[in-house]
Amino acid sequence: MAFNATLETNNDTATITLSGELDASTAPQFKAEVEKAATQGAKRLVLMMQDLEYMASAGLRVLIFTKQKMGASADIYVVGAQEMVLDTINKTGFNQGVIIQDEYSPL
Amino acid sequence: MEPLTVPGTLDSLKPIAEYVMAAAAAAGLDKKASYNLRLAVDEIATNVIIHGYEEAGRDGNLVLQAEIDDRVLKFTVEDTATFFDATQKADPDDLDLPLEKRQIGGLGVYLAIKGVDKFLYERSGDRNRTIFIVNRFTS
Repeated sequence: MAFNATLETNNDTATITLSGELDASTAPQFKAEVEKAATQGAKRLVLMMQDLEYMASAGLRVLIFTKQKMGASADIYVVGAQEMVLDTINKTGFNQGVIIQDEYSPL
Repeated sequence: MEPLTVPGTLDSLKPIAEYVMAAAAAAGLDKKASYNLRLAVDEIATNVIIHGYEEAGRDGNLVLQAEIDDRVLKFTVEDTATFFDATQKADPDDLDLPLEKRQIGGLGVYLAIKGVDKFLYERSGDRNRTIFIVNRFTS
């Protein structure tokens, strides 16, 4: 399935809905949306991952980029990630740097 | 399976993934093992394409070959980039650090090695040969 990333911003919360397959060839699209969100002054990034079927380390690198761009205190929510995507997030220790939720509920 | 030769560009990641998933299905791997093999091959192919070819200003292909026997799926990726032995890369030592302090590199190789039962490297003439072995039956 083709990759898609769509951004919605609401005050200081940016929501990016990801679907399809996120690899090194599609990660630039995701990165561009994060950049747009940061430019708009977002302080919180909510990633809706229910329909994201695959994520390579290129996707993890965009999460590092997000923290660098939006500031270390910016919260990243990972919402509804599928089992294998979550497995990659856990294996690499990224679970300690993001807020993992089944359904989005702001803390 | 018939080998697959693709050009060393990021557009090849998709046909590579399709070939890996076809091999995983032919070997009867479960969902998790299939996903992890696809991730492993994808990460190594990405490294070869970006670092071995694009950044080095070299053109080259990737040759993929899946072989299935009674016990294992053996998956081989060959490239003509400069010598790179992923098995010599140390595991990232910053997996506990806050994200903003983490290194960008090294994660792909780490996921590749963790994703298969055996991960091997050989140099053959002017080629790097990375070999991924996945057990077909876990018992």
